[in-house]
Amino acid sequence: MALATATALAATLAACASSDSDSGSSSGDGTVSGEVSLLTPIFEGSTGKELLEGTLLPEFYEMYPDVKVNIDYSSYSKLNTKLTTSVASGLVPDVMLMGVGWIENFAKNGVLADLSSLGLTEEELSATHSSMVVNAGIYDNKVYAVPIMLDARFGVARMDLLEEAGYDHTPTSIEELREMAKALTVRDASGTMTRAGFDLQSNDSRQVFETFLFSGGGDLFNEDITAPAFNSEAGVEALQLMSDLVLVDKVEDVGYSSTDATVNPLINGRAAMGLAHNNLWTQTLEADPEMLDNLEPFLIPGDDPSMFFGGTLATMSSKSKNPEAAQALLEFLTSAGPALAANEQRGNIPALDELLTSDYVTNNRFVQFAMENLDVAKHEGGPAEWLEIRGNFTPAIESALLGQTDAKSALDDLAATSLATMDSN
Amino acid sequence: MSAATAPAQTEKTTPVVMTKPRSKTRLTTSLTLNVVLILGSVLMVMPFVWMIVTSLKSPAELALADPTFFPSTWEWSNYPEAMKAAPFLLYFKNSFLIAIGHTAITLALGSMAGYSLARLPFRGREVIFMGFLAMLMIPTYTKIVPQFLLVKFMPLFGGNDIFGQGGSGWLNTWWALIIPGGLTASSVFLFRQFYTSLPKELEEAARLDGLNEFRIYLQIYTPLMKPALATVGLLTFQESWNNFLWPLLVTTSDSLRVIQVGLAVFRQLESTSWSFLMAGTTLATVPMVILFLFCQRYFVQGFANAGIK
Repeated sequence: MALATATALAATLAACASSDSDSGSSSGDGTVSGEVSLLTPIFEGSTGKELLEGTLLPEFYEMYPDVKVNIDYSSYSKLNTKLTTSVASGLVPDVMLMGVGWIENFAKNGVLADLSSLGLTEEELSATHSSMVVNAGIYDNKVYAVPIMLDARFGVARMDLLEEAGYDHTPTSIEELREMAKALTVRDASGTMTRAGFDLQSNDSRQVFETFLFSGGGDLFNEDITAPAFNSEAGVEALQLMSDLVLVDKVEDVGYSSTDATVNPLINGRAAMGLAHNNLWTQTLEADPEMLDNLEPFLIPGDDPSMFFGGTLATMSSKSKNPEAAQALLEFLTSAGPALAANEQRGNIPALDELLTSDYVTNNRFVQFAMENLDVAKHEGGPAEWLEIRGNFTPAIESALLGQTDAKSALDDLAATSLATMDSN
Repeated sequence: MSAATAPAQTEKTTPVVMTKPRSKTRLTTSLTLNVVLILGSVLMVMPFVWMIVTSLKSPAELALADPTFFPSTWEWSNYPEAMKAAPFLLYFKNSFLIAIGHTAITLALGSMAGYSLARLPFRGREVIFMGFLAMLMIPTYTKIVPQFLLVKFMPLFGGNDIFGQGGSGWLNTWWALIIPGGLTASSVFLFRQFYTSLPKELEEAARLDGLNEFRIYLQIYTPLMKPALATVGLLTFQESWNNFLWPLLVTTSDSLRVIQVGLAVFRQLESTSWSFLMAGTTLATVPMVILFLFCQRYFVQGFANAGIK
């Protein structure tokens, strides 16, 4: 089904692009040719490079022998700078892989090709992907990006530690989560924490907040994306909960873990529960495979149990000199085989529904759990200014976690700054 | 130092006049100082030791809840494994060439600029010096995009016409890696401070002997500046060696990438291969450590002198 869709997508894109193109990149005999550049933040690791250059691109060249792909690797941490300088200089890569929440900015500025004008509609994509995932590539009712891989944040519990404490299930309500977290917290005689009841700090604090916000039924922005909504009652409750876990329940001391921790505390028992990235499965497989049976994923139980997802989408430059070749590459990278391989090398979640039954997914309980719950997942982003706005979240959230300000004031101030940013553009 | 004060100082420091209690006090002070310095040294060296022992641990050992200082099994294979992950020899070579290029440009042009600001009286000298000081206050990140545009629109390079249009300029070339970072305001500032600290009498004597300005700079003053050259050279080399963002931005080809960009292969968004990253980082620090060992005497002198004026 997905293969058929991908083939149809390729044919549609190629057909539509051929009519638009004036670059002469088509060799004239029906084949696609030319040189295209690819900017990627998902193959930058050693295994990723080997996969892309050693396996995937040779397959692509078999299909398109007259296309040459120049790869530019970047990490996600520097991708925005890399894209910004590329756009400013006018040297935009033909195919760009970028994150969920990034599309709006580059689409608004005319950097990305409108794929829906080439025949790729939201309906077509929704037939093969979860609608929430498709939504991440849409701006102003047009499709600008096709998802390749996702990454989710959800609750994870160490069932062996829960059972020791007399619990045989993961939390089913926020009250139970707090009660269990308190019971599972361990300190030594001097009061030093030796086990956190619930780890909040091993993941980016913005994404942790968003997970609690979404599970509480809240959203980041209002429906027409004209104003922030994260300072709603659901938002304040979400941040208050995070703050209470640290300051009132004392289930994790500030600085006990961090996003740069060598190992996630759930793996070595320094935390009994926590909010985790799906890649925790792969990390545990490498560090302590026997521990995998003890890890149980769960949705944060709020008014509307949900999870956060980010991910990587494939986009095309609106000014590509070889649009047919760029489209062929985009189609290839988003098709089932390459997407599955790309996800496998990073321990991430394939965006294509059909891959739910693949061996990789069925052997990775976290990825399977995330795919099964994509329909209740939400992603960040919304306004074109999201990349500017998101940088302000961490200080606001951390000031609440440190008790320097209350949750409502922190979010109201953040909302005011965000609104000013949105209105200034 | 005047002739009248010199004997008095010599007398003060002559061991013959030292009394026994004073010697005891000195011993106690020296002991305390050494203990403090040893503690400071241990604190300073500990991150490096931790980096090395981490580079020799297995992922399972890194995941222990109670980490041990030394590995129970020394995973020496982490080093060859890390080196296999990317063309590190090429990255080392590139980093080395860029660092050498930056250092050479800085030592040659920076010292000339520093000399002229320190010793040549010309109209607007103070304003220019203030300009250099102002440049020190500009954060690097704010200069990235304008600098990138300068490189991209470099006329007559990379297919660009005389107006810098139509091509890629210096992007993805050695020019972009070496020229923009070749000279910094801080190096000119440091050189200017060093040249200012040297006596004017040398210059006057040289002029009487008929030396021109360039020979005064090259043969009279600069040979007295070995600590300054070592300090600025080492700082420039270190800064260049550790540069990550600029090489990442201006290159797209793996053949031009540098060691710091290479090390990023071990650090992904989702996870980090700590043992490999530490193994690679350990190897990446070796050239800097060797360089410092050779230059440390001048380096310390240089910093001491820089504080004079």
